[in-house]
Amino acid sequence: MTRLLDLGIDRIRNSIMDMAKLSEKSVTTAIESYEKGTSTKKVIFEWSEQLRVLQDEVGDLAIELIARYQPVATDLRFIRSCMEIAYGFSRFGRYAYDIVDVLETMGSIADCDKNAVLEMSCTVREMIRISVQALQSKDKNAAEKLYQMDDTVDALYRKYLREAITPHEKTDKRSFDPRCYISALLILRYLERISDHACYIGDSVHYIVTGTSSPRR
Amino acid sequence: MNNTENHHHNIDHRKVIQDAIVRRSYKRKIVNRVFTGVTIVCVMLAMIPLGSILFEVVKNGISAISIEFLTQPQGSIIRGGGGVGPAIQGTLLTVGYASLIGVPIGILAGVYLSEYAGNSKFAYTVRFFNSVMTGMPSIVIGIVGYIVLVITIGSFNITAGAVALSIIMIPIVVAVTEETLKLVPNSVREAAHSLGIPKWKVTLFITLRSAKNGVLTGIVLAVSRVAGETAPLIMTILGTSLFFQGFISPVDALPLRIWRFASQPYEHAHSFGWGAALVLIIMILSLSVLLRFLVLERGFKQGSLVKM
Amino acid sequence: MSWMSSKEYTNTISYKLSSLSDTKRHGYKVSVKNLNSWFGSKQALKDINFDVKENTVTALIGPSGCGKTTLIRCLNRMNEMTSSAIVKGSVYLDDIDIYASNVDPVIIKRRMGMVFQKPNPFPTMSIYDNVAAGLKLNGIRNKALIREIVEESLKGSVLWDEVKDELGRPGLSLSGGQQQRLCIARALAMQPEVLLMDEPTSALDPIASAKIEELMNELRKELTVIIVTHNMQQAARVSDYTAFMYLGELVEYGPTKQIFENPQKELTERYISGKFG
Ligand SMILES: Nc1ncnc2c1ncn2[C@@H]1O[C@H](COP(=O)(O)OP(=O)(O)OP(=O)(O)O)[C@@H](O)[C@H]1O
Ligand SMILES: [Mg+2]
Repeated sequence: MTRLLDLGIDRIRNSIMDMAKLSEKSVTTAIESYEKGTSTKKVIFEWSEQLRVLQDEVGDLAIELIARYQPVATDLRFIRSCMEIAYGFSRFGRYAYDIVDVLETMGSIADCDKNAVLEMSCTVREMIRISVQALQSKDKNAAEKLYQMDDTVDALYRKYLREAITPHEKTDKRSFDPRCYISALLILRYLERISDHACYIGDSVHYIVTGTSSPRR
Repeated sequence: MNNTENHHHNIDHRKVIQDAIVRRSYKRKIVNRVFTGVTIVCVMLAMIPLGSILFEVVKNGISAISIEFLTQPQGSIIRGGGGVGPAIQGTLLTVGYASLIGVPIGILAGVYLSEYAGNSKFAYTVRFFNSVMTGMPSIVIGIVGYIVLVITIGSFNITAGAVALSIIMIPIVVAVTEETLKLVPNSVREAAHSLGIPKWKVTLFITLRSAKNGVLTGIVLAVSRVAGETAPLIMTILGTSLFFQGFISPVDALPLRIWRFASQPYEHAHSFGWGAALVLIIMILSLSVLLRFLVLERGFKQGSLVKM
Repeated sequence: MSWMSSKEYTNTISYKLSSLSDTKRHGYKVSVKNLNSWFGSKQALKDINFDVKENTVTALIGPSGCGKTTLIRCLNRMNEMTSSAIVKGSVYLDDIDIYASNVDPVIIKRRMGMVFQKPNPFPTMSIYDNVAAGLKLNGIRNKALIREIVEESLKGSVLWDEVKDELGRPGLSLSGGQQQRLCIARALAMQPEVLLMDEPTSALDPIASAKIEELMNELRKELTVIIVTHNMQQAARVSDYTAFMYLGELVEYGPTKQIFENPQKELTERYISGKFG
C-alpha cells in the first residue's frame, strides 16, 4: 500500500526537481551571457519568476502535508528541508537575474578580462550540480565537499576584491575601465552568494538523512 | 494487487446476498409471527397455575381474615374460633432466626468462593457439595436437625428449626452470591485495588456492594423458599398453639398450621387453613415487593450493575 | 491549578508512608531494571530497562499486543493480580524496589494512581462517592476534607463544571468521556506521586481528549505521568519522553522530540511514520 503522505511527498519532490533544473539552467545561461555578451534578461526574468511561483507551491504543499498528515521523522525532516531547499533554488534564479541585470546596466564589456568570473563560475556551477545530485541520492557527505568548494570560492572572491582595490599603473586599458572591475566584482559577489546557498542545500540534505545539522553549519 | 477483479467479486457477492434477502423476506415475516405467537402462548401457560392458585387462595381465605385471626391463638378444635397468631409469630421468628444464621454464612462463603478460592480443588469440592445441598430433600435436613438439636436439647425447639432452615438457605445464598459476584467486572476490582484499598475492604465495600442487588435478590429467594417449608419444621419445632416460650421450646409456624388445619375434618378448620395460606403468601409477596421498592428501585436505577 | 493543596490529607497519608524514605534513586522517580513478564509460558515483556524523571510525562507507544498494558501494570504491581502472570526484575519507586519482599503492594498502589483503558467507575456509587471512595476506605474520616478533595479532584480532571450540581447522580449515568474523567478524578483524589494511564482517551471525543491532554500538562507540575497511547500525535503532544515497544521489547526510549524528529532505530521510524506491515 502507498501511504497517503507518500503521494504528497512525491509531488513536493517533483516540484523541487523542476526547480533544481530551472535554477541550474538560469545560472548557466546568465554566465554564458556574461561570457558571450548575449542578451538573456527577459528569459531569465521569466525563469526566476517561475522559480518564485514554484517556491510558493512547495511551501503551500509542505504546510498542507503537515496539517493533514502530521508527518514525523524522515518525512517531517524532508518536508521542512524542502521549504529551505526551494528557497535556495529560488535564490539561484534571483542571482542569475541579478547577473544579467548587471550586464544590461554596464553595457559593452566585451574587452574586459573575464577570467576571474569564468574560473569561479566553473566551481559554482559544479557546486549547484553537486547539491542537486546530493538531493537526489540523499548523500549526506556532499555538504562537506560543498563547504570545501565554498572555501575556494570565498578565497577567489577575496583575492579579486583585494586586487581591485590595489592601485595599478594605468597602462593596461582593460584594467583601467571601471566597468570591468565593477561588473566582475558584482557578479563574483552573486556567484559567492549562490555558492553559499548550494552549501545550505547540502546542509539540508545532511539534515534529512541524519536528523542533525551538518558539522560546518 | 488485482483491484478490478476484486471489485467484480464484491459486486457478485452483493448480488447473491441481495437476491437471497428478497427471496426470503416473505417467509421470514411468517416465521417471525409464528414464533412470537408461540412465546406468548407459553407465557400464558406459565401464568395460569400461578393466577389460579392466587385466585383460589384469596377467594377461600379472605373470609377468615380478621384482627382476631391474625393475633389470637387457636380456639377450640371442634368449635373453631381464635386465630393463627402464634403461627405468624413463629414463622417470623424462625425465619428471622434462620436468616441471622444462614445469610452471613452464605454470603461470606459465596464471597470466599468467588473472590478468594479461585479454581483450587478445595473450591471445586465446596461448589460440588453446595450444589448437592441445594437439591437435598428438606425432610432429610429436618431429620438431621431432630437428631442433632432436638434429641440433645431434649425437646422440640425454635433453634433446631432455625438451624434446619438455615441449612436450606445457605446453599442458595452461597450460589447466588458467588454467581452475582462473578458478574462484577474485574475492572471494578482493579480500579479499587489501584486506589490502594486493602483487599478485604475492596471485597466488602466495592465488589459486594456492586453485586448488592443480586445478593439481596438471592436472600429474598432463600427466605421465601424456607418460609414455606413444612417438613423440616415438623421434625424440629413441632408446632404448638402457644406463643413463643423461649429458645428451647416448641413454636408454631404457618406451614405447619396450614397442614394441621387441612388434615382436620371440620369446615371451619379448612377455612382457617385457607386464611393461613393467604397470610403466608402475603408475607412472602410483600417481602419481594419490599425488596423491589425499597432497595432495587431506590436511587441507583441506572447504577445497578447486577440485577436478577 | 491548585488541586493538591490539602496539607492535612497529605500529612495523614505520609505518616503511613514514613517507613518509605524520600530520597531518589539517581534522581529518577521510577526506574525499571531488567523487567521480564510472562503469561503462562508466553513472554510478554523482555528485559525492559528505563528511567523516568520526576515531573515528566512519558508516553509508551507500540503496536497492539506489544506489551504496553502489561508494562504499565507492572509498574504498580497491578499485573500480579492476573493469575497467570509472572513478573521478574525490579521497578524502583524513588529508591524502593517495589517488588522487594518487604514492600506492601497496597502502599505502592496508593502512591501510584492508575487510570484504565476503559472507564470503570464503581457501579453502585454516585459521582461523589466514586471520588471519595478511595479516601473513605483508606480511613479518612474528616467529611469537610473529603468534600474539599472531591471538588479539587473533579476540577483537576475538568469534570467539575459539568457535574457540580448533581454529584449524587450514579457515576455510570455519565457519558463515556465523563466517566473517564471521573476515573481520573478518583485517582487524583488519592494524591498519587505517579499517575499511570492506559489509553485514557481512547473512548473520548477530540474535545474531551484535548482536555485530558491539557490536564496532563498541568499534572506534570505536581506528579509524574506515564501514559500508554495508540495515538502517536497525542504522544508527541503530551509527553516529554517516549518509549517505543515492539514484541515485548523496549526498542527505543528517548526525548519525545528526538523520537518523532530523528528516531535512532529503523523500526521506530517505520512505526511512527506508518510504514509498518
Ligand atoms: N491476561 C493475559 N493472559 C494471557 N496473555 C495475555 C494477558 N494479557 C496480555 N496477554 C498477552 O501479552 C501480550 C501483551 O499484551 P498487552 O495487553 O500488554 O498489549 P498492549 O500493548 O497493551 O496492546 P493494546 O495496544 O492492544 O492494548 C499480548 O500478546 C497478549 O496476548
Ligand atoms: Mg493495552
